[in-house]
Amino acid sequence: MVVQVDDRVLVEAAQAGDVDAFEMLVRRHQGTVYRVALRLLHSAADAEDVTQDTFVRAWRSLGRFRGDSAVATWLYRIVTRRCLDLLATRRPQAALDDDQLDAGADPAARAEQRERLDAVARQIAGLPPDQRAALVLREFEGLSYEQAAAVLDTTVPAVKGRIHRARLSILKATAEWR
Amino acid sequence: MSPHDDRLPCGAELEALVAQATEGTPAADPRHQERCPYCQTALRGLGTAWEDVRALARVPVPVPHGLTVRVMRRVRNLAGRAARNLILAVPRGRTQISHDVIARVAGHTALAVPDVHFASARPAPGRPGEPDRLDLSVRLVAAYGPALHAVAAAVRAVLRRRLRTLTGADVGQIDITFSDLDHRA
Repeated sequence: MVVQVDDRVLVEAAQAGDVDAFEMLVRRHQGTVYRVALRLLHSAADAEDVTQDTFVRAWRSLGRFRGDSAVATWLYRIVTRRCLDLLATRRPQAALDDDQLDAGADPAARAEQRERLDAVARQIAGLPPDQRAALVLREFEGLSYEQAAAVLDTTVPAVKGRIHRARLSILKATAEWR
Repeated sequence: MSPHDDRLPCGAELEALVAQATEGTPAADPRHQERCPYCQTALRGLGTAWEDVRALARVPVPVPHGLTVRVMRRVRNLAGRAARNLILAVPRGRTQISHDVIARVAGHTALAVPDVHFASARPAPGRPGEPDRLDLSVRLVAAYGPALHAVAAAVRAVLRRRLRTLTGADVGQIDITFSDLDHRA
């Protein structure tokens, strides 16, 4: 019988030292954590490292988790912060340089939609990290503005502003609007 | 980028049209927009491009193979450093059993009791002067319906028997907490 045990129960068990309960939390949430990391970092290797670090940090800080927020929100906070820290130490990506990025690919082999989606992905990769994080949480993860603001430790108007600027720069580059 | 770049030839601001295409913000001047070919072209283009963003968001991201194992290796490593043992003195030497081993056996044993849907057990730290005594704290999720005191009694009885046989320790107090009830049939 597969039982869907509440996250809160698993956290309590993990807080008492039950590593197997923590593993159930990892299985349940690793997809979300990895997806966010990949979309913010655009590197599978970095996303894997950050995902591992996120759960190690979560295990270490279990004692401070009070259960007043959802486990998912708590993990979003840890992974997003870790990604932003990493992005701050990285050289700014020349992600808008199409030629450079397309050099290794075979354009003829790509479906048209695939090409368009790649163009969108490149634009997202080129956004300033704070805009990218707000956009990914809201548009890709489906968080509300309030949730995204809580994850990013900022206000709802600030999140709205970042997302608006992100949309504007992506669409300005990818849309046929003239 | 000059502000001029962000205007359509009709004077409409791209920024406002982006808000309209992505969030459904009402048009600033609906009468102008309805008849303006520049605005109509821009709105169509922005709508299509925004659909691409939504489509990208729907592309599934597979979890790398073996990620859970790699995460848990690091977590178990950390947890292992803090692990305790049950120490049993025997005539020639002593036997140590990791609390994690006891916890796992106790968890599986409790889970086999009818109407128990989740079980997590932790041995309590040993009491000074009573090294052979094993106290346990157990969290359960039970089915909604059956009497909880009966479930608790059944779990205590089976744990006492199983742990006594497994470890040879004197099983003392078994504290049981019902963390949740499972409402599904």
